[in-house]
Amino acid sequence: MRRTVCSVAAIALAAAFGFAATNISEEKYTATERRHWSFQPRTQPAIPTFAALRDKAWAKNPIDAFILDRLKKEGLPSAPLASKQTLIRRVYYDLTGLPPTPAEVAAFVADTRPNAYEQLVDKLLASPRYGERWGQHWLDVVRFAESDGFEYDTHRPDAWRYRDYVIKSFNDDKPYDQFLREQLAGDEMEPANHEAIIASGFNRLAALRKNAGNQEVASSRNEVLTEMTNIVGSALLGVTLGCARCHDHKFDPLRQKDYYRMQAFFAPVHENDFVTANEEERKQWEAKNKELDEQIKKLRGEMKGLKGEERGRMFQRIRDTEAQKPGPLPGLYGVRNDMEKRSPIHVLARGDYQNKGDSVGMRTLGVLLPDGTPELDPNTPKPRTVLANWITSPDHPLTARVMVNRLWAYHFGRGIVASPNDFGRMGARPKHRELLDWLANQFVDGGWKFKPLHKTIVMSSTYRQAATSPASAQGMAKDPDNELLWKFSRRRLTAEEVRDSMLTAAGRLNLKAGGPSIMVPVDEELTKLLYKPGQWQVAKDKTEHDRRSVYLIYKRNLRLPIMEAFDAPDMLLSCPRREQSTHAPQALELMNGPFANEIARTFAARLDAEAKTPDAQVTLAYRLTAGRAPSLQEKKLALDFLKANPLSEFALAVLNLNAFLYVD
Amino acid sequence: MSEHIRFTRSRREFLTDAFCGMGSLAFTQMLFEEKLRAASTTNPHANPLAPRPPHFAAKAKSVIFLFMAGGPSHLETFDPKPLLNKLDGQTRPKEFGEVKYQFVTNNARILGTKRTFQKHGKNGIEVSDLLPHTAKVIDDLAIIRSCHGDMVVHSAAQYQLFSGRIIPGFPSMGSWAVYGLGSESNSLPAYIVSPDPDGALEGGQPMYMHGFLPAVYQPTMLRAGKKPILNLDLPPGVQLDKRRNTVELIRKLNEANLKATVEAEDDEFRARMNSYDLAFRMQTEAPEVFDIAKESQETLDLYGVGKDATDDYGRRCLLARRLVEKGVRFVTVVHGGGPGNLQWDAHEDIEENHIRMAAQADQPCAALIQDLKRRGLLDSTLVVWGGEFGRSPEAQGGKGRDHHNYGFTMWMAGGGIKGGQVVGATDDIGLKAVEKPYHFRDIHTTILNQLGLNQDALSFLHQGRKERLTEIQGSVIKEIV
Repeated sequence: MRRTVCSVAAIALAAAFGFAATNISEEKYTATERRHWSFQPRTQPAIPTFAALRDKAWAKNPIDAFILDRLKKEGLPSAPLASKQTLIRRVYYDLTGLPPTPAEVAAFVADTRPNAYEQLVDKLLASPRYGERWGQHWLDVVRFAESDGFEYDTHRPDAWRYRDYVIKSFNDDKPYDQFLREQLAGDEMEPANHEAIIASGFNRLAALRKNAGNQEVASSRNEVLTEMTNIVGSALLGVTLGCARCHDHKFDPLRQKDYYRMQAFFAPVHENDFVTANEEERKQWEAKNKELDEQIKKLRGEMKGLKGEERGRMFQRIRDTEAQKPGPLPGLYGVRNDMEKRSPIHVLARGDYQNKGDSVGMRTLGVLLPDGTPELDPNTPKPRTVLANWITSPDHPLTARVMVNRLWAYHFGRGIVASPNDFGRMGARPKHRELLDWLANQFVDGGWKFKPLHKTIVMSSTYRQAATSPASAQGMAKDPDNELLWKFSRRRLTAEEVRDSMLTAAGRLNLKAGGPSIMVPVDEELTKLLYKPGQWQVAKDKTEHDRRSVYLIYKRNLRLPIMEAFDAPDMLLSCPRREQSTHAPQALELMNGPFANEIARTFAARLDAEAKTPDAQVTLAYRLTAGRAPSLQEKKLALDFLKANPLSEFALAVLNLNAFLYVD
Repeated sequence: MSEHIRFTRSRREFLTDAFCGMGSLAFTQMLFEEKLRAASTTNPHANPLAPRPPHFAAKAKSVIFLFMAGGPSHLETFDPKPLLNKLDGQTRPKEFGEVKYQFVTNNARILGTKRTFQKHGKNGIEVSDLLPHTAKVIDDLAIIRSCHGDMVVHSAAQYQLFSGRIIPGFPSMGSWAVYGLGSESNSLPAYIVSPDPDGALEGGQPMYMHGFLPAVYQPTMLRAGKKPILNLDLPPGVQLDKRRNTVELIRKLNEANLKATVEAEDDEFRARMNSYDLAFRMQTEAPEVFDIAKESQETLDLYGVGKDATDDYGRRCLLARRLVEKGVRFVTVVHGGGPGNLQWDAHEDIEENHIRMAAQADQPCAALIQDLKRRGLLDSTLVVWGGEFGRSPEAQGGKGRDHHNYGFTMWMAGGGIKGGQVVGATDDIGLKAVEKPYHFRDIHTTILNQLGLNQDALSFLHQGRKERLTEIQGSVIKEIV
């Protein structure tokens, strides 16, 4: 039986993690504050049952039972099931971020075995493409990037290992509790394990301000600690902990002291650039550095006689040369504790590092603890392990709910709680609280594994509904945002899916997995917008330019135009959900952009090579982009066009179609 | 024009956004108007760039921000300090207090200025000899001598100047303005940044960006050379009439694919189809706006187009006028880029740097004011001038000045601003703003105010917080509005 009285479990938690009986906190939380739904223990909701045979048949699993029960109460009929052709495209994009091939569509449509869909789902969940797709979601949430941001935007040449770690973790179906523990405290738990150190890089994914002549070291350190603390709130706990940095949270029972007590777990955390290079690599690295250093020295000599603008330009040349210097030796981008250099943590008035209030120690969020729970002994070894164990405790009211809600949101386009990073009072209320708890229970009881949960979701009738319904008029009137899921919500492809699908249509996608990130050719005017244009070093091997988007560099000060236009996040703040905007620069990018036009040419060449007649070319083009054959009307329009226009223009047009850019 | 629905944002969320938690009853009327406004934004058929009514009567329709990148010295431009020359070579007297710089330490020596100041305009406002053209339009300018910010390093100060935060990732002023008011143009982007061709700035792209606002509110970055807007030109070898056929095909094929049983379900499809019409219109109409050759010789001369020092910034200021004339909401014209010495970042030699930089920017800035005024556009166009900070009273390396965020000058003109006056003051050596200090948040609040926008009502729900341009509540600079 799950705990029913919050404080009992909280006391147990406190005891389990050894909160010492010193430094008693004076804060108290009212019953109302503690009563907020997301701080309550998960319930064991009863699964609705149905009398009618039709309903029994539709409710394939408990998800359907909860959804159907609500729809019936609201008087909304569910939509019919999507066609197999629609379903395979949907589930491919959803689980792998890529479209099915025309052959795969044909085989699935022809496969009449009752378990054909289940087999397809199993195949996709086992595909390495799955981790690339779902790893991307996590990278959004933790604002993963491979450069510091701010003025130097220095590259982090080893940060890609974290991206690979995330992808591998999803592919291996690593339990989420373990995944979180490794990221929060991998270095503490297994200091000799490379993968654990890479995972701990999570704590330093934020943008990092570095300045010449910085006299405000304390300010910079404060910014680093702030980022480490805030991300735990928004990404892992789904609370806007960052709001409590400057004052007690205005809406949620998060005191300013809570904020700094959480921050105290990170007080000893420092960078750990763990060098793994061998002797040979070290020699090459030194030689390259020496060569460039000599060049720079020469240029500096030349600069001495120059003035004004010429001096400025020489300075630019020197900077470009400096940018060509190899980054640090191959290593791991992680963190470690340095107890000697532990930052003293104070409550800071208005978040101002110079305005120090009470000194505080480590403690987790007060509203989830009994009143007066003391802080941890300051000499507690492995403090982040304590924090990680608290967060991943099976009874934690937030962690599992927040994660299953993210999962749901990525599958259906909106979460059961529509604000995935905010389960507080200002966040959205859960539309299906029982369903959320049921999913979270399944998740935790099933060992925090994602794949079984994905399978349950995509096997449901709810997921398999069509994107339009005969009862649309009623549905749109009653629930225009489709919060109750009376149909499947159509969605636009994400930026990565657009790019990867264009490469796929052209037959060029390079599926090589993992390794250092790639810089692809971009317009020179864009690199000029960089403070150090020389940082953009295009991969020499052209086949690398066609890698999946998740393997392109995430540089904070330069996003590819196609990524930016299609709402890829800037990786400066945690991105809980992608915006889905529609605007003219997207059209310009897909019509006039060099990438789109180059793809259109290779796509046209492929159509020409693989299909003999214009009729067959049009059909193939639709199959490769929309996952279906064209309708008679579409085919006629296309063939008329081809009489007077080149195939490459037709290929370009197809890449601009709604039928390509949206998933039904 | 493109229609737009945010499937990811519900109507209810949108309304919550609009009603930020302010709780003051005085806002009731404004809230009512905001509700009407929000209703128009949440209408599934609404266009996210359609012009929207402001919260209250607006003075300005457009903003031009003349961004003097790198931090121009207040001590060499608008804030004369005779005491500085008397103290030249001495350490700072204790009574002025402590500050922290980026490089210069507290035992640095005061640096006098070689500039001379004269009184100009009907109110005798002092302007240095670096800015003879600006001096001529001084009656239109409100000089704010008491500006201050929180950061002494470029990137963080630039983020604060543009987005109100010292970290990147938050929407800039221009994105907020368009989010609030939409666009008045149906063939041009609503928010345009004209960077300096000499190179990027420390804050990089993120300082101009839309942060977490939908990508429709992103800036269009103009580029050097003949192709000012990315992807506006047809790819090599493609003719416009041929491309028209392709656009037509896209429209027909998309129409053939409309299939929902209720029209509203296909709103986003229709929105995308319309965005192609707008894109095509931009392609055919925008190049004309960017072609300044049709301007009279007199106008070109006014901006200094064709003269070595002023040609680049003159062209870009003239373009800014042409853009607001066509309804563009927010234009940032950056002066200075690339390494510090090609910005106003005079660490090495304040004289050499500022004489050169002022010679490039002074005439174009003044011309912009004159030109807007004679065309009747100044009343509806707010012009803001300034950098991310000023420069230190103390010398760096003998002849230079370090960054300085405790007190510096910006100016505003047009868009309902009362010109010909000075507001606020720094102390006698220009170290700290001591009289009526105005923070960047007050500058932001004033800009929004002139646009008819309230800093609280203009908010966007992000990660559970109603984010706005001002992190801490700002004040309107009452003296100048």
